Amino acid sequence: MSNTLRPYLNAVRQTLKAAMCLENFSSQVAERHNKPEVETGTSKEVLLNPVIISRNDKERVLIETSVNSLRVSIAIKQADEIERILAHKFTRFLTQRAESFVILRRKPIEGYDISFLITNSHAEQMYKHKLVDFIIQFMEEVDKEISEMKLSLNARARIVSESYLSQFN
Amino acid sequence: MAFRKIDIDALEEDALGQDELDFQEIGEPRPPHEVEDEVNSRSQEVRFLLQRGNAAGALSSALNNPPYGRHLEAAKARNTQTVMEVLNSIKVADVAQLVKNLTFEEQDVLMKYLYAGMAAPEQNNSGVLLAWHEKVIDTNPNSRASLDLSGRLSEIAGPGCIIRVITDRRTV
Repeated sequence: MSNTLRPYLNAVRQTLKAAMCLENFSSQVAERHNKPEVETGTSKEVLLNPVIISRNDKERVLIETSVNSLRVSIAIKQADEIERILAHKFTRFLTQRAESFVILRRKPIEGYDISFLITNSHAEQMYKHKLVDFIIQFMEEVDKEISEMKLSLNARARIVSESYLSQFN
Repeated sequence: MAFRKIDIDALEEDALGQDELDFQEIGEPRPPHEVEDEVNSRSQEVRFLLQRGNAAGALSSALNNPPYGRHLEAAKARNTQTVMEVLNSIKVADVAQLVKNLTFEEQDVLMKYLYAGMAAPEQNNSGVLLAWHEKVIDTNPNSRASLDLSGRLSEIAGPGCIIRVITDRRTV
């Protein structure tokens, strides 16, 4: 792991650990509704300050907290055109299967590539530290996954072009 | 606001506005020009201290009495810049000791500025800020309980200062 990645992931982990203090809280606007306040944003007093943790201007994490829900949005590193396409395809693949990921949000927040929405019921059903671990692991894996895909894509392109051009000599 | 485009609750007379929320914690807003003068004179003072090599003095005076409240964007940006100058000019080896010598309030304010700095990665060096962030967490060990002067038990915890950043309406 490179030397700037570790403090970055550490900062995200500590912030998530601190932010994940969620409790059951019914809507103050509609009776007998219980909605994630960070999504509805109808009562200002239960929203906390959003924080951004950045590694550089490409890679950053936005953590928005409210009394009963927490939204984590991740901007994945995209150095060039290929990585941008790969990241887009990859996050699209995941968000289309959002039910099986439970905490995944179907649509990322504007300016970010993928978002997670953790509500108080998630924090009750699952271990909080495991949820934090999951997000950290996701952040680690996604960079690795995309650079791996980029390598195999380049290798494949080379083989294809070689075999295509070999018929002309 | 799923299908309604107008937030009718905001039009109600006793709707809770941002100003009222701020007033509860910050109090009466100060005139912007007064705050800006203060911020500017502080920035000069901090630069003077830095030139003389007094990093500890520069750090604590930069973190002293930050501008709080809305409608103070210019002063806030200026003060953040001052703090960033101090943070960038301190050597990594000295960070831990300097953070340890800050008061708890100053550590909390420092944490606020670290997050404020990281929110603008184009202007600030995130690597430096992440290193500071780690140090502030480390010097706030997980279970440090101490009796302060009034005899009240005050828990100072590592994640605690992040929680104070997230929950405090006195944003920087």
